[in-house]
Amino acid sequence: MMKFDVVIIGGGLAGMTAATELQKSGLKCAVVSEGLSLHNPSAREFKTAGGTLLNGDSVTGGTFKDGRLQSVTTQKLGDVSLEADNFILATGKYFSRGLVADMDCVYEPLFGLDVQYDKDRSTWFDPSFSAPQRFLDFGVIAKEGKALKDGETVDNLYPVGEVLCGISSSQSDATDRIRLSALEAVKSIRRI
Amino acid sequence: MQERNISANNFEQCQKCSLCETVCPVMKNNPAYAGPKRSGPDGERYRLKNGIFFDDSLKYCLNCKRCEVACPSGVRIADLIQQARIDFSRQAPKLRDIMLASTDQMGPVAGAFAPVVNFTLGLKPVKGVLDFTLGIDHRRTLPKYSSQTFVSWFKKNAAASQASFPRQISYFHGCYANYNYPQLGKDFVAVMNAFGYGVNLLEKERCCGVAKIANGMIPAATRDARTNIASFRKSVAQGRDIVTVSTTCTMTLMEEYPELLKVDNADVKDHISLVEQFLYKAIASGKVKPVWKEGWKARAAYHCPCHQERLGLGIFTLELLKMIPGLQLTELESNCCGIAGTYGFKKENYKVSQMIGKPLFDDIAAAAPEFVACECETCKWQIEMSTGVPVKNPVSILAEALDLEKTSELNRG
Repeated sequence: MMKFDVVIIGGGLAGMTAATELQKSGLKCAVVSEGLSLHNPSAREFKTAGGTLLNGDSVTGGTFKDGRLQSVTTQKLGDVSLEADNFILATGKYFSRGLVADMDCVYEPLFGLDVQYDKDRSTWFDPSFSAPQRFLDFGVIAKEGKALKDGETVDNLYPVGEVLCGISSSQSDATDRIRLSALEAVKSIRRI
Repeated sequence: MQERNISANNFEQCQKCSLCETVCPVMKNNPAYAGPKRSGPDGERYRLKNGIFFDDSLKYCLNCKRCEVACPSGVRIADLIQQARIDFSRQAPKLRDIMLASTDQMGPVAGAFAPVVNFTLGLKPVKGVLDFTLGIDHRRTLPKYSSQTFVSWFKKNAAASQASFPRQISYFHGCYANYNYPQLGKDFVAVMNAFGYGVNLLEKERCCGVAKIANGMIPAATRDARTNIASFRKSVAQGRDIVTVSTTCTMTLMEEYPELLKVDNADVKDHISLVEQFLYKAIASGKVKPVWKEGWKARAAYHCPCHQERLGLGIFTLELLKMIPGLQLTELESNCCGIAGTYGFKKENYKVSQMIGKPLFDDIAAAAPEFVACECETCKWQIEMSTGVPVKNPVSILAEALDLEKTSELNRG
C-alpha cells in the first residue's frame, strides 16, 4: 500500500490542473496517467513541485467503505494499492474510456458511478455531422462536486473535466469549463 | 460487427491518434525511420495481408517502448514492430551483432583475459580496427570486463553463510553484474543480507536474451528463456522469489518471454520483482527496517530508464530513495539516453544515439549532481561516457547509505 493525500486518476488538462494546484498547496499527490500527459509542461511543473506521476499505468478498480473510496489498484503496481483521503476522477469521455457507450447504455467503467444519458438511443446523435451531438453532453453526475454511486454520494471522490455531464470539448469555452471544474474540486479538498 | 480485439498485441485498438509519434526518440532524429505508428499498427495492416510489405527501416526502432507508455489505447506498438522483424526480416545477424548480443558467451572469454582485453579495447588503433572491420563505432567507450565474475566471487566468499538468514530469495544477477561489474552483485548481497535475506543463485542462469532478440537471434534467445523459466519454477517451488537488479532483464523476463518468444511465464511472473520494488514493499509493510548511516549526505539526480517507464515500477525506486535521509534527489525529465543496449554501439547508429541522448545530457549538466541514480547498466555506460557524471545503481546507493551492521542486527530475527 502507498499512502497519498490525493490520488488523481487521469493526466489530461483537468487532472494535471488539479494535481499541480493541490501539490503546490502542500498536499502529497499522485497522478495515474495512461500516457496522455507525457511531455506536457504541466506534468513537468507537477513533478518539480514534488508530485508522483505514474505514467503509462491505469487504474483497474477501487475499494469503497461507508460511502468513501478507500484505495485504488493499478495495472502495473500489482498488489500495492494507492490509498488516499481524497480522489479526483479526471478520465475524460469516450476516447480515453472515461465513459463507455454500449448498445443500450452509457456507463462509467472504473467504479460504476451514476451517469446522465438519454434512455432512448435514437436521441444520442444527430446524423448531421456539424449539428450539436447529445452524446457529448452525457457524463458522470456530480452533487456538490462529488460523485454519486447508486444514488448515494461518494464523499471523497470528485469528478472533474470532460467525464462530467455537461462538459465536452466541442464547446467553444471547453478549456475554461474543464479548468474551472478542476479548480472547484481543489477548493473543496483544501477546505477539508 | 466485431466489438472486441482479436489480433495479437492489441493491434485493432489503434485509433491513429499519433501520440506515439510525439514521444518516439528515433523519429525526431532519424528521417529514415517512419515512426511507431506507421512501422507498427499501420504497417501491420499490410503485413497481415502479405509479408512482402515488410520494410527494413523497422531495424531503426530501438525498442525503448516509449510509444507503448504513451498509447492511450493499450496497443503494444513496439511488440508489433519486434514481431514483424522476427517474422519477416531477411537480414541475417552480422558477426558484429552476434558478438554484441552473445553477452554470456563473450563474457567468460573476455573475463579470462580481462586486463589485456580492457587495455586493448581502450586503444585508439584497436577501436579503429573494430570500427572498420566490424562496424562497432570507434567513438564509443567499450564496457570493461572483470577478471573475477560475480558468480565465482559469490561461491568463494558468500555462498556458505547464506543459509543462516531467516528469509531466502534467488538472485537473477544478469550478465552485467556477472562479467562487467561484480561490485553491483556484491552490493546486492550486502544489502539483502543486512535485511535478513539469504541470497541464492538460480540452478541455471542464462542471459535474459534481450540483446539476442534485438539482433534477430530468436532460436538462441528462446533456448535461454526456457532454461531461465525452468530455473525460476524450481526456485518458486522452494519458496524463493526471484529478485533482479536490471530493468531491461526484468522487462524481458516478464513481458518479452510470453509476447515475443512465446515462452509461458504465467506461473512464475508474480514471483519476479525488481530489487527496488521488493525492498520498498518489505520496508513499507514493516517486515524489515533500515538503519541509515549518521551524517551520510549526497546530491543525486534520478534517471528513469525507458524499460522502467514501461514496467511502471520507477515509483518504487523513487520512494525507496526518498527514504534515505541524507539524499537530496531531483527527478530528471523522462528522456531516452539513446544507447538502447547494443543499438548505440553500432557504427550506423552512433550519431543518432548521441542526438537522442542530448536532452538528457543537457538536463544532467544543468542539475550538476554528484552522481546519477539509475537502474540500467547500458544507460550507465552512455551517461558516463557522454556527460562524465558517474552513475550509481540504487542498490549501490543503499549499500553506501545504510548502516549495514545496525540494519542486520535489527533484522536478524
